[in-house]
Amino acid sequence: MNAPEARPSLLLIDDEERILRSLAVLFRSQYRLHITTDPQAALTTIAREPVHVVVSDQRMPLMSGADLLREVRRVSPNTMRILLTGYSELDAIVASVNEGEIFRYVNKPWMAAELRSTVEQASRIAIQMFAASPPAVDGRTPELASPDNAAILVIDDDPAVFSAVKDIVGYTQRVHHAQSLEQAFMLLEREPIGVIISELMVGRESLTAALKMLKSQHPEVVTIVMTPFRDTAVLVGLINQGQVYRILPKPLRAGPLGMNIASALRQHRLLSTSPVLRQRHVVEQISAPEELSVANRMMSFLGRLRGRATVRS
Amino acid sequence: MLLIQPAPAANAASGLAALLREVAPINPETSVEDAAEKMLEPKHAGLLCLPVVLGNRAVGVVSRQHFNSIFLQRFGRDLWGRRPVADLMNRQPLLVDIDQSLEAAAQFVSTRMGSPISEDFVLMRDGKYLGMGLVLDILAAMQSRVSQGARKLEDAYRQLKVSQSALVQNEKMASLGQMVAGVAHEINTPLGYVRNNVEMLQDMFGQMRDVLAQYSILGSMLADENSFDEADLTRQLQQASAAGRDLQQGGVLEDAPTLFEDTLFGVDSIKELAINLRDFSRLDGARLADVNVNDCLDQTLTITNNVLKGRVEIIKRYGDVPLVNASPSQFNQVLLNILTNAVQAIDHDKGKLLLKTEFDEQWVHVSIVDNGKGIAAENLKKIFDPFFTTKPVGQGTGLGLSISYQIVRAHGGNIQVGSVPGRGTRFLISLPRTSSNRATGLEAAA
Ligand SMILES: Nc1ncnc2c1ncn2[C@@H]1O[C@H](COP(=O)(O)OP(=O)(O)OP(=O)(O)O)[C@@H](O)[C@H]1O
Ligand SMILES: [Mg+2]
Repeated sequence: MNAPEARPSLLLIDDEERILRSLAVLFRSQYRLHITTDPQAALTTIAREPVHVVVSDQRMPLMSGADLLREVRRVSPNTMRILLTGYSELDAIVASVNEGEIFRYVNKPWMAAELRSTVEQASRIAIQMFAASPPAVDGRTPELASPDNAAILVIDDDPAVFSAVKDIVGYTQRVHHAQSLEQAFMLLEREPIGVIISELMVGRESLTAALKMLKSQHPEVVTIVMTPFRDTAVLVGLINQGQVYRILPKPLRAGPLGMNIASALRQHRLLSTSPVLRQRHVVEQISAPEELSVANRMMSFLGRLRGRATVRS
Repeated sequence: MLLIQPAPAANAASGLAALLREVAPINPETSVEDAAEKMLEPKHAGLLCLPVVLGNRAVGVVSRQHFNSIFLQRFGRDLWGRRPVADLMNRQPLLVDIDQSLEAAAQFVSTRMGSPISEDFVLMRDGKYLGMGLVLDILAAMQSRVSQGARKLEDAYRQLKVSQSALVQNEKMASLGQMVAGVAHEINTPLGYVRNNVEMLQDMFGQMRDVLAQYSILGSMLADENSFDEADLTRQLQQASAAGRDLQQGGVLEDAPTLFEDTLFGVDSIKELAINLRDFSRLDGARLADVNVNDCLDQTLTITNNVLKGRVEIIKRYGDVPLVNASPSQFNQVLLNILTNAVQAIDHDKGKLLLKTEFDEQWVHVSIVDNGKGIAAENLKKIFDPFFTTKPVGQGTGLGLSISYQIVRAHGGNIQVGSVPGRGTRFLISLPRTSSNRATGLEAAA
């Protein structure tokens, strides 16, 4: 067995002790465990020592899981964050993505083997992250140089959205507009797209699978999803299989949209310069059959896209 | 003279203008004889009286009845024929401004007109004579308007009923949605550790079988005196103890008793939830039963447990209350609404909820007291109104209490509320005791 120091550390938090006991037995042999029902205690631990992975319950009496993970991100951005929840609520999902930038959203009851491998994957990534970057001082990753030529792609039927984005971005970045999946494919092939701002439906077609596929092939492309859509299962899929960067409920408001575009561009810059960081955005395989067929359609253009990406990096 | 002011918002198209008949007025100096002659002209058929105008002001009317009473008298014509109509006329005619509403005019006319109706009314604008209006016309116009109104009213009423039942349905769906969220969470939590425990125990069971198999081989090797090979035996012994070590190191074995215990606990809590859920919303909907309000409170508490747990302290002071005749699912809906409101009103972490039940000769009382933010005095009378809410859009429909009120009223009961802003709120639900167990002899006293 490994020496204790070599083992990654895992913090488990839930207000139900039986959950904690059960998870402890599952993970005890491979991780250094911190177990608590108290969010403050969890934050203290994370501030004090490197914790590679946090698995948090969502509904807790003193603090919600999404809020806790937002704090975790602030205190220790290298710690990988997983939300484990008994019931998917839209607000929690949106907050955990936008503020907590979580790695996975897992529903209770979970599959032991799956959770084990998710946590393992997260801890491997975290170890590299901790090794690559000095502990962040103020919770921010240091700014990297050079705004590159990354362009923004807006995928939406509604031209108003495109012009809104253009207004916000001004002349600093190129903005392209696609009103169908095909158009989006073509633009992705031709242009150096770094950030995608996308609706979930164009025409009658769902973009979910395409967005997921794209992320699995191109972890450095950052996606912002805007949607009036309130289906929690779809959004959870976009987190786990699409590592979507932000979920913005429609109708959009200019202020937050602008801020999010700015940070998405920054994120893209980070991702394209740091392979370690890109790992953080690995996604789960997609499995739904209707999504697989869209995925196949994407394959041809993805090959060429891949070619371009290697040239660039 | 009788005058009514035109209503300020009156418009000319309101209908009075349509009733206007142009009648050439007579002058007060006109002789009775000449006036009577005029009255008989065919164009004035249907008109009950002729207007008498001086300058442009109507100073009176002279009616068929006037003429009749004179000409039927002996020597009537001789006595009156030459005199001016001014001597005969009614100097207080019905004066109606044409710009006022039909309704106001009709009301004015109908309270003033004599019986039998003997005079029509004078239409004017700003005091200037315009023409005559027929009482019959205005009554007919009003009648058609009223029947039109009645039809509209009926339509509106029908629509209201439809939308009200849709509202009730919506509110039910909303509280169902809330409940489903809570219940799903409540089930998935034990399900989470139950499933995990069973999976781990299953793995462990596989390992145990290995160990057992290895040891039973060892056992049979030891028992078999003929083929005794020391090397084989040592190897088997090593294999068996290695399997044993794996089992130990898996870490599940030592915790197995706890895991089993937790698993059974989890399964039992799911079972309990299922029972409560069934009791909470019996499918027989509105069917009445003799129920104990304490049980209803407890069922509702289990359903809302996930919202309450850890957030508020619950203090129960249940009395040994008699039964009430009520629809359990509807009454539970009332409790759910009031409990949810109470919890939502608590914005600090020292939340308390006091649930008290009591009874007297006629009533069973349930009081639910919270120490939340309270209700401002000006809102207190509105909280039972449909759609009244202080919660942000999307969070409150404002239907909870209005529906609760309807339900309780339909049960012959009552809801009262008292609140001190900043301190808390108390809801008191009173339901009549089932008649069979009502305290006898005291009923008459109340
Ligand atoms: N216990 C309470 N403390 C403070 N305010 C209350 C309390 N109960 C009700 N109210 C007030 O009464 C209003 C109406 O309550 P009601 O239950 O009818 O609707 P709602 O709670 O706003 O919406 P819904 O029940 O549809 O979610 C609330 O918005 C709130 O302002
Ligand atoms: Mg309510």
